Amino acid sequence: MNALRRLRAGAATAAVLLMLATMPPVPAHAADRLSEDDRKCLACHAQEGITKTFEKGDTLALRVDGEQFARSIHAPLGCAACHSEVDLKSHPGGGTRFDTAREFAVAQAGACRQCHEEVFKQHQGSIHALRLGEGNPVAPTCAGCHGSHSVSPKTAYQTCVTCHAAALAEHRGWLPNAESHHEVVSCAACHAPAALRMVDLRLYDRTARTWVAEKEGQPWFEKLARSIDADGNGLDAAELRSLLKAINPEGTAVPKTLRGRIELRAGVEAHRLSEKSKALKACDNCHREGAEPFQNVAVSVTGPDGRPRRHTAQKQVLGSALAVESLPEFYAIGGTRSTFLDVLFLIALLGGIAFPAGHMTVRWLYRKFFA
Amino acid sequence: MPRIYVHPLPVRIWHWANAFGFVALIATGVQIRYIELVHVMSFKTAVNLHNGIGWILVGNFFLWLLFYLFTDKIRVYHPELSPVKHFRASFRQLQYYGYGIFKGEPNPHHLSVYQKFNALQSMTYQIIMLLLVPLQFVTGILLWDLKRFSYWVDLFGGVRVVDTVHVLLFIFFTGFIFVHPYLASLGHTPSAHFKAMITGYEEVDEEPVPQAPAK
Repeated sequence: MNALRRLRAGAATAAVLLMLATMPPVPAHAADRLSEDDRKCLACHAQEGITKTFEKGDTLALRVDGEQFARSIHAPLGCAACHSEVDLKSHPGGGTRFDTAREFAVAQAGACRQCHEEVFKQHQGSIHALRLGEGNPVAPTCAGCHGSHSVSPKTAYQTCVTCHAAALAEHRGWLPNAESHHEVVSCAACHAPAALRMVDLRLYDRTARTWVAEKEGQPWFEKLARSIDADGNGLDAAELRSLLKAINPEGTAVPKTLRGRIELRAGVEAHRLSEKSKALKACDNCHREGAEPFQNVAVSVTGPDGRPRRHTAQKQVLGSALAVESLPEFYAIGGTRSTFLDVLFLIALLGGIAFPAGHMTVRWLYRKFFA
Repeated sequence: MPRIYVHPLPVRIWHWANAFGFVALIATGVQIRYIELVHVMSFKTAVNLHNGIGWILVGNFFLWLLFYLFTDKIRVYHPELSPVKHFRASFRQLQYYGYGIFKGEPNPHHLSVYQKFNALQSMTYQIIMLLLVPLQFVTGILLWDLKRFSYWVDLFGGVRVVDTVHVLLFIFFTGFIFVHPYLASLGHTPSAHFKAMITGYEEVDEEPVPQAPAK
């Protein structure tokens, strides 16, 4: 058995040396930015069909898409940052042995912990951590949600529905306007009940049907927002309108609009997912005046790395009369209630009562004194 | 007193279903919009009730529309084409409600089978039934399923625009729901118009003159 292993390791080492010697050109574009060491790793790991076989016989594909990795948020760290256990002298073949691919994946989360200790603290006690601790074979590891070599900021919804594909159908059973809720409320906003929420007003390009994103090296949003929010106390309703006018100059055929989403104030808290039974289900968590998610508001565009570039707005922008013009595509019953309409309602209510009462009184007075 | 038949059965069914339905829509609407002030039921129950009653009233509206479209009774909604005559009659009616009624003067409008509305009612009900009520239903249906009707929501200018129109009309109907029964109590007895909307017959001062049906 040992002889067989030695033979396998020897053959693999020979193959590595052969590949290094005849290293193919690294793909152009993003992968060009990778370090020399990373490109050496990719010389083998970019090959189709490269796999690792575990003790119990299951295999793991070891191919890494160089382009995807180069675009991932971890690209600047390089391969060795997460795979520090790899000793090139004995690679492949050396290092800790695992019985199964699952065991390897669980252990590999330790690499994430080196940098993301805070996330692990949030994750402790979550339903995913609980299931992982119980040894549930489908409980997600870090890579299960975030991917391994293509880690990029994704919307929580994309991440969640990868496993919870039936989520929408289940919500349709009890949640009115389930599709709209799934579109404008991040999963964690309800399923991480202890986390704090906010309204993220993200700039949307209706022509391209996508979120507006800044290009690499050309930041403009924060500078523009800061110049309009001169007093620095957050954009008020008039300033928000000015911001949109600056983004959509006179004559813009299809203006870019702000679409609101309920997000977590700190994205890291998305790891505090609870059991389904503890998720927020009462509608008035959001649908009432003064609801917690509507107390913090930000206007944002997507940065080049996919993360939002945010500027604070005052919460009053949501209920301002100007919101009909500035935020035509964001409305939540109760949470974005307009004060102007409330006043009109009060006038209609009092007027509706006062007119009959007044008219009746005058009729009575006439009968009493002039009849 | 002589009586004339002014409210056919389909109109009476439509009217009372609409009346109770609108009161229920306003009540559930208040609960939905002001849940921190009015909390008779859960938000979800209020929304489901509001939606259900809304759909019943949409169907009820078509009962009203089809009845008038396919009978000669539609003449009660025919507008007065002479603006001078219309505004003169409206002014007389306003004068009556604002002054004459206090002095006990007679109502200037003489009821007949095809003229059951006075000039003010005629104009108001045309606007309400042909513009405001349909608009309230359309905006309500769009809000009922925003995703399914997203194309139409966009045409309106966005969900907030749709909602603002819906709420403005809700505000109007809230005022209307108080004023309408009061004005209905200004018949020759306070209950005369209410009874008429139950039996179909209005009592009139003079013997009705037979009117030719529409050709």
